[in-house]
Amino acid sequence: MTTAKIDRRYLLMMAIGLFILLVILYPLWQVFFRSFVDAGVFSLKSYRKVFSYPSYYRALFNSLWVSAATGALCMLLGTLLAFLVVRTDLPLKKTLRSLLVLPYALPSFFAAIAWIQLLGPQGYLARIFFHFSGWDTAPWNIYSAGGIVFVLTVHYFILVFITVAGALERMDASLEEAARGSGANTFQIMSKITLPLVLPAILAGGLLAFIGALANFGIPALLGMRARFFVLTTSIYYALAIPDFGLATALSSMLVLVALVSMAFQFGIQKGESKYTVISGKAVHPSELKLRAIKYPLFFGTTLLVFFISIIPIFSMFLTALFHYWGAPLAAANLTLGNFVYILKLEAGRRAIVNSILLAALAATITMFVGVVVSYMHVKAKLTGSRMLDFFATIPYAVPHTVMAIAMILAWAKPPLSLYGTLWIILAAYLAIYLPFAVRTTHATLQQVHDSLEEAARVSGAKLFPRLRDIILPLARPGMIAGWILVFMPALRELTVSILLYTHRTETIGVVVYNMQDAGYREIAAALASIVMVLLIVGNVVIRKLTGGVTGF
Amino acid sequence: MEKIRIVNLSKRYGKVIAAHAVSLAVEDKEFFSLLGPSGCGKSTVLRCVAGLEEPSEGEIYIGGTRVNSTADGINVPTELRPIGMVFQNYAVWPHMTVHDNVAYPLKLKKLAKGTIKTQLKDALYTVGLERLADRFPSQLSGGEQQRVALARALIKEPEVLLLDEPLSNLDAKLREQMRFELKDLQRRTGIPILYVTHDQSEALAMSDRLAVMNAGHIIQVGAPAEIYTHPANRFVADFIGLMNFVPGRILARSGEEATVEFLGSHRLNVIDRSDLSGECVVAVRPEDISLSQTGPIRCRVEVRNYSGHLIDFKVRADGAVLRVQTPKTAIYQEGEELGFTIERAMLFAVRESSSEWIGPVDGKPFAT
Repeated sequence: MTTAKIDRRYLLMMAIGLFILLVILYPLWQVFFRSFVDAGVFSLKSYRKVFSYPSYYRALFNSLWVSAATGALCMLLGTLLAFLVVRTDLPLKKTLRSLLVLPYALPSFFAAIAWIQLLGPQGYLARIFFHFSGWDTAPWNIYSAGGIVFVLTVHYFILVFITVAGALERMDASLEEAARGSGANTFQIMSKITLPLVLPAILAGGLLAFIGALANFGIPALLGMRARFFVLTTSIYYALAIPDFGLATALSSMLVLVALVSMAFQFGIQKGESKYTVISGKAVHPSELKLRAIKYPLFFGTTLLVFFISIIPIFSMFLTALFHYWGAPLAAANLTLGNFVYILKLEAGRRAIVNSILLAALAATITMFVGVVVSYMHVKAKLTGSRMLDFFATIPYAVPHTVMAIAMILAWAKPPLSLYGTLWIILAAYLAIYLPFAVRTTHATLQQVHDSLEEAARVSGAKLFPRLRDIILPLARPGMIAGWILVFMPALRELTVSILLYTHRTETIGVVVYNMQDAGYREIAAALASIVMVLLIVGNVVIRKLTGGVTGF
Repeated sequence: MEKIRIVNLSKRYGKVIAAHAVSLAVEDKEFFSLLGPSGCGKSTVLRCVAGLEEPSEGEIYIGGTRVNSTADGINVPTELRPIGMVFQNYAVWPHMTVHDNVAYPLKLKKLAKGTIKTQLKDALYTVGLERLADRFPSQLSGGEQQRVALARALIKEPEVLLLDEPLSNLDAKLREQMRFELKDLQRRTGIPILYVTHDQSEALAMSDRLAVMNAGHIIQVGAPAEIYTHPANRFVADFIGLMNFVPGRILARSGEEATVEFLGSHRLNVIDRSDLSGECVVAVRPEDISLSQTGPIRCRVEVRNYSGHLIDFKVRADGAVLRVQTPKTAIYQEGEELGFTIERAMLFAVRESSSEWIGPVDGKPFAT
């Protein structure tokens, strides 16, 4: 009896282990392995190819400088805004803060589309500019490296903002007061005391933005490919279109390497930061800097900025969706709901919506199930081997999604078991990329359920399944629903993996929006994107209600 | 009949030994406490009995059934052991009403609805919760949640009840009250209890017998009065109640009587069945010292603390500071020069409290 029960838990763990092996480890191994193989033998040919053709090594170089520039600009913008919002007496700080987070809730390729609508040759802002300046060409070009860095920065600066705002909030105000007591003026305090203390947070946030920019596909794809400006992710896409798997896997391995190194740095900085005992978890309200004369100019500037990066793009998307045709003059006669009707009547559009909802729901359900089991084994049952399972399940966190898609093709698009052309291969990729999120949320949720609550159930006579059913799962439910939505929402509008894995009949919403935009049907793309945006915003509100309303058990 | 028997139980976590060769037995209807400082291994022993931890070595019997044997590879899972348990934080399930919490063990047994209803009524009545059956735990006080946990532990009519510091989260007043209630409950139901606590007054007050533990070892097992008056070694003497320790020297020994010199050149005849000689430690309880104007050992009152039912003094005598407790009527003031006599003292070996463990000394000293 004893042994049977233990076997059952290990059996469950072995099943999950097999799942992780098939969906994560084996595919990723294929990428790494294939980059070193040519015609069945070990070879560095693929890597040699990368470094002998300018178009490939330039992609590596482009990826690095675009991401570095993005990281640097994000640090500047994020730190400045965090400082204004946390440490000064700027009016309406809370509202500004929640508006700043808004763009990140939307997919990055939506941002790219919105900024094309705004700053592109026929863009709304461009047209306003022409009107007032009398010029007929813009001094900027959104389809360029500069455009890419701009949109990446607008999308990722929030990562720096959040880490720096957190550090500023946790900083002990007495440190600055001590400096003030020693006779330092405000500028000296900021530059000598405050800035050095939050520097680790700035760097850590900057690296997060760097990693995000490095792995991003949608923005460089929509803005760069037209200008023949390639980065690693778009080169991989291109290499797959040839198709040249050796090249794709070599580029992928390099992309993973850069991501891993940056992540190790970022981890190191955050670990180092915790050594600063002065930034403690204690909520000591830091003093507010009085802005005095520059208060309203700064407020005006910040509001304008927030308006531009958070509200205008969303507004632009809705507006575009309502136009009869892209570029039409703004007049009531040119507005219509026809684009929404069109996309819902279009077979590919309907199919994409059904596919995406199906895939997202399956991905959310399966990853949450696996996440709960992995977390339960690790956090509650503390079985031997569960730590390793947990680690393997979080590996994809460090893998850019483009690479995950290639991994699926290499692993599961060949005989005897070819899933290529089915929804299953897309599902497998979704499972891999969202599993780390599921594991992390279930971890946190289960940690809030005190061990003794489960032990009391055991003492009451409840075996594994009754106590999961009656105690653990009901107590973890709010966190799990939030976790489910947290996987469902990004999966619903996923682009990077789907664009590499879809075929006719397995389109997803992301693919259709991208293809419509790419083919010039911008108002149709905007209509579908608008529908998704409404869903995403509603989902975000639901999550906030769920996680804010329930405090730990 | 023994309801719990633990034989040579050891539990190791890596290199840390939490429990070392623990053996003990709890009789039927007995209130048995495991007492010791935090980290002494008492909770580990309890959790092994509950099956929540697996022993590294040893055997455990509950109600005559062997539930653990490392030699024979037996480890009956918690859910199949005939036990009830109350946790330190009560572990009342927040998503279930009082009714559902208490009825859960019966529901798992798949009993008929009618049976569940009558048993539930009884259980809630036993702990005085009849009126709160439909409340959720968040609407209950700490004391009420504790009763829910007790009712839930009792309802499956277990062979034994395991209590893991159940009173430590209650406020002081309620804690005192619950001591009586717990003991009363045990007398009424007759269920044997294994009780874990770090609070010595709790253990003394409630237990029929108790085991004092330190660093994974059981140091002494006995009735509360026995442990208080005859602590097996210096650790127990120090841990249970208050104790003054004064360095001394054994001058002479004749039969079971030893003559000790301490506090300068004061001498005391002590009954001592040990074979101690030379340097020793004289241990005296604060209530075994009587202050008077004329007492032979001279001292000076340094601090006087009035605490209602008694008065607590700190007196200095020949370089040593002693704690003395007198009835509330004592009139001595701070700074006063007094004397005292010692009614009762014990002898302990010197090295014992240091890192070197020399084991219990069988000393049964009485002052003359």
